[in-house]
Amino acid sequence: MKRLLWLALCLVALPVTAAGLDGTQILQKVDRNLEPESYESYRKLTDIQPDGTQRESVLWTVKKGRDKILALFLSPPADKGRVTLRLGDNMWLYMPEVGKPIRITSLQSVTGSIFNNADILRIDYTAEYNVEGVEERNDQYLLSLKAKTGDVAYDRLKMWVDKKDLLPATIECYAASGLLLKTLHFKDVKDFGGGIKRPATLETDSPLYKGYKSVMLWSGLKKADFPDEIFTLNYLPRVEELRK
Amino acid sequence: MISQRSTRRCWPLVLLLLTAGAQADEYSFDMSQFEKKRFELGGYVQLEQQDFSLNRAGALYKLGYNGEPQLDSLGQTTEILDLTGKIREGIGTFDFHTYSQLQQNQVANDQNNKFYEAAFSLRPTPGVTLEAGKRALSWGKGYAFNPIGFVQRPKDPNDPLLAREGYVMADGDFIWNPGGALQTVAFTPVLMPVGAQVNNDFGASGHLNPAFKVYALYRNTDFDFAWQGKGSRPGRFGMDFARNLTTNFEIHGEWATILQFAQPVTDAAGHTTTEVANATSYLLGLRYLTESNTTYIAEYYRNGTGYSQTEADQFYQLVDTTFTQLQQIGSSPLLQKALALGQGPYGKPFAGEDYLYFRAQQQDALGIVYFQPAVFAMVNLDDHSFQVTPELLYTGIKNLELRLRLYMLHGGSFTDFGEKPNSHTLELYARYYF
Repeated sequence: MKRLLWLALCLVALPVTAAGLDGTQILQKVDRNLEPESYESYRKLTDIQPDGTQRESVLWTVKKGRDKILALFLSPPADKGRVTLRLGDNMWLYMPEVGKPIRITSLQSVTGSIFNNADILRIDYTAEYNVEGVEERNDQYLLSLKAKTGDVAYDRLKMWVDKKDLLPATIECYAASGLLLKTLHFKDVKDFGGGIKRPATLETDSPLYKGYKSVMLWSGLKKADFPDEIFTLNYLPRVEELRK
Repeated sequence: MISQRSTRRCWPLVLLLLTAGAQADEYSFDMSQFEKKRFELGGYVQLEQQDFSLNRAGALYKLGYNGEPQLDSLGQTTEILDLTGKIREGIGTFDFHTYSQLQQNQVANDQNNKFYEAAFSLRPTPGVTLEAGKRALSWGKGYAFNPIGFVQRPKDPNDPLLAREGYVMADGDFIWNPGGALQTVAFTPVLMPVGAQVNNDFGASGHLNPAFKVYALYRNTDFDFAWQGKGSRPGRFGMDFARNLTTNFEIHGEWATILQFAQPVTDAAGHTTTEVANATSYLLGLRYLTESNTTYIAEYYRNGTGYSQTEADQFYQLVDTTFTQLQQIGSSPLLQKALALGQGPYGKPFAGEDYLYFRAQQQDALGIVYFQPAVFAMVNLDDHSFQVTPELLYTGIKNLELRLRLYMLHGGSFTDFGEKPNSHTLELYARYYF
């Protein structure tokens, strides 16, 4: 009986060992399955208030390498032309009416939604987090992630990853104090073409914003390679000219 | 004809259809409406109401309202149309920004139409941009003040994020990414003509003014080095920096020197001399975000082109003498001199030497998303006069921005904020973006 139990336990653990993946490798796969290292995409952010009223923002996003990303606001009209740039831990916001970029922080929200700047300008998880533990939960892995530095927006993440396609299903984001800041729910896995198959919808809720919900939708996600010069403060007023 | 009763009956159906439409649309994303267009037009319309409580004892009120009806308060309505547009063709883009304003108050009606910007840009490569036309540059890292803003109009510290009118110029942008600790270097040269018909408020006519700025991102710190050659204005140079000490704590600074700056200085009897000396201005500032989403911005500004408290006292004494004479004998030989100085260097906002700017704003206050109350203050550190302004901002209605402010100025006689034309101003605007 004991042997049978041992065999059953080994079978449960098989996906990890058979695939030869440890926690860091799972996280690397998650990064690449979510997006190519360098890409462009369109995103719609919808904020839903407790009374049901909604506000939308549309962004064109370009990422290069592990830690260069920028997002251009296409809508609403009040935000059109604004650009946020992230180079590693540095973030800036360019507002056309001001005419120059100002430094911003990852915990702020340029849209005023539950999604903060770290969510909107997300770089690779492996660039910001170490894997501290992996647990198997039926058809999912539960990764416990710890921020590599104090400059990261969330100190700890709990990430539930589907074993089959190695994509995140749910992520809980915690402050250093242990406070749950928000929960991200990935939904609606879609084939974007070019070998990219990932969730097209991300919902978030937060105990800090009771009754509010924010949703992020992806479209037009594809591999793209842009020159380094565009990820600079001087280029931000002209980012829109890059769009095809 | 459809009866009122049947119309009422139709309402639930209309509501249902609208709701169904909204639900179907909830998680859809039609990218086609955001395709890049060859021609773009956007902007806002704004309706603003201001109620000024006038400071009839203030020196700048006396000068500003000389010969006008004497009022204790003034109501003013302003309508603004702000348009921005772009036309794209190949590697070139023509963009423009117009500003039109209609203003009515008890004393006068005013109309103002301006091109803030209108320039043609060429981008042969991502690292190179060449431009010609009217352009509003914005140099410097300061929030409320910019000592290195050499080729731009000064900011209004009451509204530092407001668009400003540019100057006609030719400029370029050259960007490199050397890699390593020096992540970015960018060079921005500027050539700015000044003549009778062009940029004539910049300085002396008949000059082609050269200027440049070099930007560098070195080890997570932004640096700018700026220079403007002698021409319509005296030569000047300076630098700035900004960096995040932690994710929620940013510091910045600016420093600039104007060579051989000529400043008219008056005594109480109206004898004016021009003092010429190098003038150094600088600022140090910080921006701090708390866990509860409160942002604090603070800046100390040393204005090297400002007047000392003693010099300002002499000017206020001159105005006082002038208007005492006007009251007693009906005329004053000092009036024209006082008016000229009041409309010139002594009357410009922030004409003192030492200022502290402070702002606190709370995002999503009282659990209401898009509701942002704030308060900001400006203090003249030499005479301790100040202005405090509470503000309420709401952007929760689609494309609409509502802002309410109350400017409260405090200071005694012969102080910076005590001699301003207004003592209180209540301001409300509604701005609709399209």
